[in-house]
Amino acid sequence: MNPRRTQRSECGCLAASLVGFVSLLALMVAAGFLLYNRITPSSGNEVTLRVGYTPEKAALFETLVTDFERTRPRTPDGKPIRIQATRLDPDTMLSQALRGELDVVSPDSSIWLSQLDDAWYAQGNELPLVGETVRYAVSPVVIAMWEDVARSLGYPDKALGWGDILARAQSDPQFRWSHPSTSSASGLLATLAQFYAGAEKTRGLSEEDVTAPATLNYVGALERTVRYYGEGEWAIIEQVLSRGREYLDAFVAQEQLVIYFNQRSRDKLVAIYPIEGTMWEDHPLALLEKPGVTIGQRQAFRVLSSFLLSHDVQMRILSFGYRPTDLTIALDDPSSPITAANGVDPTQPQTTLQVPSPAVVQVVRDAWYYTKRKTNVYLVADVSGSMEGEKLAQAKEGLLVFLDQIRGPEERVGLIKFSSEVTHLLLLDEMRRNRAALVEQVQALEAGGDTALLDAVEFAYSQLQMLGDSERINAIVVMTDGKENNSRWTLPRLVDKMRRGNQSGVPVVVFCIAYGDDADMATLQEIAEATGGQARRGDPETIGQLYKILSTYF
Amino acid sequence: MNRTRIIFLLVLLVALGVVAVGLYLRRAGGVEPLIQGPQTLEIRVVCALPVEPFVTEAANRFNAEGHKLEGNLIRVTVIPMDGLTAMSRWERGEMEPFPTVWIPDSRYLVELVNATFKEQRGRDVFLTGGEYRTRPIAISLFAWGIYASRADVLRAKFGDINWSVIHDAATAKGGWPELGGKPEWGYFKLVVPNPNKNVGGLVAMVAAAGEYYKKTSINVADITNPQFQKWLKELMDAVTDFSSLSAYSVENLALFGYSMGDGGQLLESDLLVNMAGIQTRWADPLVIIYPEYITWFDFPYTIWMGEETTALEKNAALEFERYLLQPDIQKLAVQRGLRPANPDVPVTGENSLFERWSSQGVMTVVPRTTAMRSPDREVLLALLRWFDLNVTER
Repeated sequence: MNPRRTQRSECGCLAASLVGFVSLLALMVAAGFLLYNRITPSSGNEVTLRVGYTPEKAALFETLVTDFERTRPRTPDGKPIRIQATRLDPDTMLSQALRGELDVVSPDSSIWLSQLDDAWYAQGNELPLVGETVRYAVSPVVIAMWEDVARSLGYPDKALGWGDILARAQSDPQFRWSHPSTSSASGLLATLAQFYAGAEKTRGLSEEDVTAPATLNYVGALERTVRYYGEGEWAIIEQVLSRGREYLDAFVAQEQLVIYFNQRSRDKLVAIYPIEGTMWEDHPLALLEKPGVTIGQRQAFRVLSSFLLSHDVQMRILSFGYRPTDLTIALDDPSSPITAANGVDPTQPQTTLQVPSPAVVQVVRDAWYYTKRKTNVYLVADVSGSMEGEKLAQAKEGLLVFLDQIRGPEERVGLIKFSSEVTHLLLLDEMRRNRAALVEQVQALEAGGDTALLDAVEFAYSQLQMLGDSERINAIVVMTDGKENNSRWTLPRLVDKMRRGNQSGVPVVVFCIAYGDDADMATLQEIAEATGGQARRGDPETIGQLYKILSTYF
Repeated sequence: MNRTRIIFLLVLLVALGVVAVGLYLRRAGGVEPLIQGPQTLEIRVVCALPVEPFVTEAANRFNAEGHKLEGNLIRVTVIPMDGLTAMSRWERGEMEPFPTVWIPDSRYLVELVNATFKEQRGRDVFLTGGEYRTRPIAISLFAWGIYASRADVLRAKFGDINWSVIHDAATAKGGWPELGGKPEWGYFKLVVPNPNKNVGGLVAMVAAAGEYYKKTSINVADITNPQFQKWLKELMDAVTDFSSLSAYSVENLALFGYSMGDGGQLLESDLLVNMAGIQTRWADPLVIIYPEYITWFDFPYTIWMGEETTALEKNAALEFERYLLQPDIQKLAVQRGLRPANPDVPVTGENSLFERWSSQGVMTVVPRTTAMRSPDREVLLALLRWFDLNVTER
């Protein structure tokens, strides 16, 4: 055999073998990729937990979820865990949980878990919906007050409470205080505390106590001194941070937010732990035992819980001003922000109020609508040509949501529409008389014409000033999707009129909705700020929710 | 290198490649092993909450040590569940996945479930005799845990603390100022777990009944006595919160301090485990006082004897039981405030919580007391029904 031929033949064989081997390897790598991709998050082999959390702890919860995902968490059998976190107010959270749209809930208080189970049983279920639960942070509900205001009431030598707030608010018309609506834990807990004070009890609050005329009168007197309500303590603290002392003298919030404020402001708030007792926001994380919950989800819940309860994460929770649930961590740790310098006292509260049964809690929520400070509110709707089609349809839905949320029969609502001109569709009247007419008028709205925004606001404002009703919250909720182009009033004149009117007449607050990208946010901002109101952005997807949020202020 | 060697080398490389990819995919959890190894015996232990940390720690050690039975690896998984919840799930047939072992809080819960299954299957599913009989793995008593400042005031006014004193404190209309305490303490706040969520709540009511009647055995007539019910209601009205929070009991006492509970009759092991946390979080320490009428949990290790588990699984469960009762493992129980079931293991020694907190009133040997008898099914149901009607709906 020719040695050169043999060598060439061997080389050819080697080359063929190498090509074959490389091809085989490439095939295996490709197969590996394909198989791997089947188990990556995009493929469905991962475990997803849909978690609803309440807005007041958004900064903390979003940070913790980001940190958790950075650890590339997996279940014990190796499946990647993905957290789909959604910020929800407690009422929406409960509704979504009951519809099976959430796997885990983290409201601000365990009170909502009892309410959730009650609603679950009412649907005919025998076993509870709320399953395994852990608490990763707690914070007591306090009355946040400017330090000098507190001192004028006797702080720190005298223990203060709800009675002091009432006495001050009734004796000083300039005193402005607020608590969120009962759709947040701090609002509900503040309301419960008022009903306890009204019933002259610290425990055993019954349905009879809540509905007794004397209690309702007491709570009504206290509520009449509330400036206006709001969607939650987080929204209040943001307003106080941006507007400072002119916004409120005192408000109800969890202790953590007092610390949050004092770390960011030169002015100082102090936490008043009411002597009658307070309650705790305990931030539970609960797995929902709905039909179809998988073993993977149970495992993922455990992994998330363990993460939240781990020492390092608990220290991080402390750094946010919450009291960690890891009891090995001392509140006087050198890194702890729970200090007198931040306006809080780690040895407080001394006593809590007794949490009534879910049935009594529901009665309190219902009774609050009768005792709360009533409202005169004008809804001012843009029906200019640019609103045509889907935009107007969604805006009408939003207005209907708003009307649905205004539950008290004595609340007064009126309706104004504007395009090239301003039309007073419905006079301000009590909802027990005009609810049906309001719904009918909203449904009949049609679009066309220009945008006389300033004239419409001025008209609504003048109506409220003419009424001169200082007993109620006077407000305008105005929505526009475009720019002012057809008013007789100019912005400086309108702002000047409202500023002067609010000082000499009844205070009227304007909430503005900038609907879509074309809305003139700067103008709306100026209108809102002149009255101590707010301007928010909305679009066809969010307009309903935005109207719902604004309804919590009344 | 000749052709044969090259081909051999290539085959070897391909084989290595297959193994590497296989290992990678297995780590990613994507594929089953190519060859089935020996069977893994999965032992699922549904475990009462007060002993779950101890049993889980023991199970982790057991799993790490790779115990085998007839060549099969035993793997223990612990599922925490309150005794009453577990009892309800057994009886409704809702144990999923099916447990091999149940460690409830107390032996009487086993007897109650056994009674239910005896009606269905005509035989016991948990045995009281023989190799597979139910055996306790640890013991814990119910004792008073009260914040020291509050205990001092109660002792000064009433003397020894017992259910009668607690009742008087609970019904004091003026709250703590009337009892000699500070106004800011509010009213007297009792800690009793929600009996629907924590079997300790039921035991607390049974203990209260024992002291009320000055006897060790409680029957349905005692529970339904209107005078007793009035007395018990007045006690329960001093509990701050029976909502979701109350499943935790001592944890609440530690986390929320005296603001939520001045004290209560609670499981000694829970009190001991949380004692350090209470002292870290609240300036006021807790004291422990032993009642005259003692109730306790014995945490029986109970192997399911139905056909839902194999003989091999039952024997594997037995292996884990023996492991739990070994002296070294029983010492872990002591470190978690539990009294050991193995009489050779003392409650004293290294890391003993009983020694650490003796200054707070903890006793290694409990003085002569009166032991309450376990309540029967009718008594438990009557108490639960009364609770639901009169307390939950208050």
